[in-house]
Amino acid sequence: MDGEGTLVNKPLVRGWLLWGLGWSFFAPVVGILVSLKFNYPNFLNTEYTVFGRLRPVHINGVIFALYSTLFIGLAYYMVPQITGVRMKWERVGRPLMWLWNLGLAAGFVTLALGYNDGVEVAEFPWPVALVLWLAVAVLMVQILATLAVRKEEKLYVSAWYIIAALVWTTVSLFVGNFILPYHVAGINNVSLHGLYIHYTVGLWITPTGLAVVYFFLPAASRNPLYSHRLGLLGFWSLALFYPFVGIHHYIFSPVLDWTETVAIAASLMLIIPVAAVLVNFYGTLKGRWHTFIDNFTVKLLVVGTFFYFFGSVMGSFEALRSIQTPTHFTDFVIAHSHLTVFGGYVVFALAACYHVWPRVSDKPFSATMARWSTWLIIVGITAMGFGLIVQGLAQGTMLKQGVFFVHSLDSMKPYWLMRTLAGVTMDTGIALVAINLLRGKK
Amino acid sequence: MKRAKVIALTAGFVFIMAAIGVQALIPYFTRDTHTTKVSTWVRTDLGLLQEVDGEARPYQGKVKRGREIFIREGCWYCHSMYVRPVAGEDRRWGPVSQAGEYAYDIPHTMSTRRIGPDIIREGGKYGDDWHRAHFFNPRLVVPDSIMPGFPWFYKKYEKPAEEEQEEAGRKLTEGERQRVLPVESEFVPNEDGEAVIAFVQFLGMNRGKWRNAYISRLAGEGSNAIADNASLARGKKSFNRRCAGCHGKDGKGDGPAARFFRKVKPRNFTRGVFKFRSTPTGSLPLDTDLYRTITIGVRGTAMPPWNMLPESERWDIIQYIKTFSPAFKKEKPGKPVYVPEAPEPTPAMLARGKNLYEKFQCWQCHAKDGEGDGPAAVGMTDDLGNPILPANFTNGQWKVGPRPGDIFRTLMTGLNGTPMPSYRSFLQSESDTWALSYYVLSFAAE
Repeated sequence: MDGEGTLVNKPLVRGWLLWGLGWSFFAPVVGILVSLKFNYPNFLNTEYTVFGRLRPVHINGVIFALYSTLFIGLAYYMVPQITGVRMKWERVGRPLMWLWNLGLAAGFVTLALGYNDGVEVAEFPWPVALVLWLAVAVLMVQILATLAVRKEEKLYVSAWYIIAALVWTTVSLFVGNFILPYHVAGINNVSLHGLYIHYTVGLWITPTGLAVVYFFLPAASRNPLYSHRLGLLGFWSLALFYPFVGIHHYIFSPVLDWTETVAIAASLMLIIPVAAVLVNFYGTLKGRWHTFIDNFTVKLLVVGTFFYFFGSVMGSFEALRSIQTPTHFTDFVIAHSHLTVFGGYVVFALAACYHVWPRVSDKPFSATMARWSTWLIIVGITAMGFGLIVQGLAQGTMLKQGVFFVHSLDSMKPYWLMRTLAGVTMDTGIALVAINLLRGKK
Repeated sequence: MKRAKVIALTAGFVFIMAAIGVQALIPYFTRDTHTTKVSTWVRTDLGLLQEVDGEARPYQGKVKRGREIFIREGCWYCHSMYVRPVAGEDRRWGPVSQAGEYAYDIPHTMSTRRIGPDIIREGGKYGDDWHRAHFFNPRLVVPDSIMPGFPWFYKKYEKPAEEEQEEAGRKLTEGERQRVLPVESEFVPNEDGEAVIAFVQFLGMNRGKWRNAYISRLAGEGSNAIADNASLARGKKSFNRRCAGCHGKDGKGDGPAARFFRKVKPRNFTRGVFKFRSTPTGSLPLDTDLYRTITIGVRGTAMPPWNMLPESERWDIIQYIKTFSPAFKKEKPGKPVYVPEAPEPTPAMLARGKNLYEKFQCWQCHAKDGEGDGPAAVGMTDDLGNPILPANFTNGQWKVGPRPGDIFRTLMTGLNGTPMPSYRSFLQSESDTWALSYYVLSFAAE
């Protein structure tokens, strides 16, 4: 699949990745600022940067700016190679890039100004949401049109995930941004929101992230995909179970009990796609494990699969009522979200950048710096993930035993300081990836 | 091409729609999910607490505005809003959440995280005064808090034009009802601030007087502690962390938060005068009296219930509080009033209570309708010279406690340091005291 010479619109991919790498400085730094407020509540406490206004900037920043922008850039690189044709309506790509990124920038400003829709992960005010929604819809049409005229007869696994993710997200962004803030009252709003939250991570980040691994792991290790059948199993089990899991965010709330039970069962079933995907990935490396040593794309993809596995399985068990009793509402959940979104998907996207950026910009990168950044990312996310797990279990069991709330909060403070340090470590790691790629080998 | 279409339609569209159908649409068309019914606690005409079916109320006016600000500031990222039926949460926060309570939420604010405490049962836990200090800087009242302050909810205080001075028999003005103490802080909440406070005070109120029922269960009296050096040291540490924000490090009732208070000042412990006792007028309280007050709080004032604070910590704090006043060294508390088991109220008993209310002219201060603005209410002060209002019986917030026995006890002992005397020598019999107690409680009937 080395058709980037004639098929890929290099300046377009470069543009999108440049924005994505730019956001990779922004969103994590906001995360550090937010985390400092746990230990220093007066830090940066102005009307526009109060915790409640900065937190959605971090979360939407990571999901829609950092991760999604990188992914769209990678999609413009992958789709022509999967299909064997140039992207249909290629010229749409650049205006779309400005629309998407300036829309996001406007979104962060409006969040700071206090325009918050009150729907977690769909906080952007409607004009910004409309821009993002249109961009995803246009991208879906563009990619489907490209697939319609493809030369490769067989549809590669990555394409399945990309198609499905774009359709899912067009639906779910509509639900989150245009239904939840205005319609459907009470516990029905809660149920629908539970679904929406998880559609954002499960039906956007997960499938697009897996598409990236399915494409770049064979490409970078120069080995064919291990098993097409396992690919089918992984894809269809994800498509079948993932849409049902969202209500596990509101277990023990007044929403209907049986919907919670369905969500818990579906959450456990997710172990199937996770296992299928992982076996397929590691099988692909069969006989090519030496590429793990010196190819940074392979190295980071494999690192990412570890956190993906751990975070995903943790998520499945987290849905159980017995595990939720102490852990829900605590940092245990935050551990899960960082392990999967950062440790898994953001790392996948960065790994792909190591493959793509030198090819679209003709700039090689420094291996020394790449080694440093890899270790910083590994140490940072490990410390954060496992620190937060211990922390969540500690506070959860304390509260279960009837400890005074402020006492439990007080004993969390040293952990929060460690969390900030872990965050600084992994953020330095990502920043080094971006700097390394943009600066090139000196 | 065939396959791409299959994926887009089947995996992409059909599966997500199936999930939305099963998980969201079926519930949507289930009648239970649209209920506005809640179980709510009311005070009956006989003055008893009862759990009945009630209707949730929509957000309106100031409360609605407060909710918008609550969403705008992202308060809901840290404060979850439902009590789960597990992990002892109904003991910690109050009754388990019901669907009807959320009937008017668009969008919902249940939240997924509890960095701060859950607040769905927050209404009435703390008085407005506490919130006025807390929103300005949470660490004034909770030194370990990590909540941000919201100084943009405040404006500079400007003294209102002098109100007409008193004439005999005049009713309280609205301003006097809202604010009886001179405002000491430079800043007072602006419209946004008052709206957020109104919203927080509304939370859980659809469940009516649940807190009365809850407090009645909490107020049981535990073991007494001995004041040794270790318990005094622990008591001091806890006092400085939990109490000093309002009561001051020296117990003088002049902590940094107190200057925001407009209704009731924090107790000055150095004077050794305590309102809520089981001991005769003028006497010191028992340890168990202080324990009861700390545990259930003082409704309507800045003093919250501390029932989740470990029992031993409460007893240690009591020992430490007693060191502020020399009185506890010199005197012993008097013999406590015996509060017998409360009888079942009857209409005849209530009628008798009404007669006694007339006879003892309770209405001079508390008014005929129990609203606390009787003819003698104007210009009333406590023995420190601070303005003070007679209790308003209709709002269902009982400073002394919500049980019939709490009213009984107060009638027998009076409230030291306030104009409320003891009626012990006037009330001829136990049954008269119960009659008057139930009559007083029945002012809060719906």
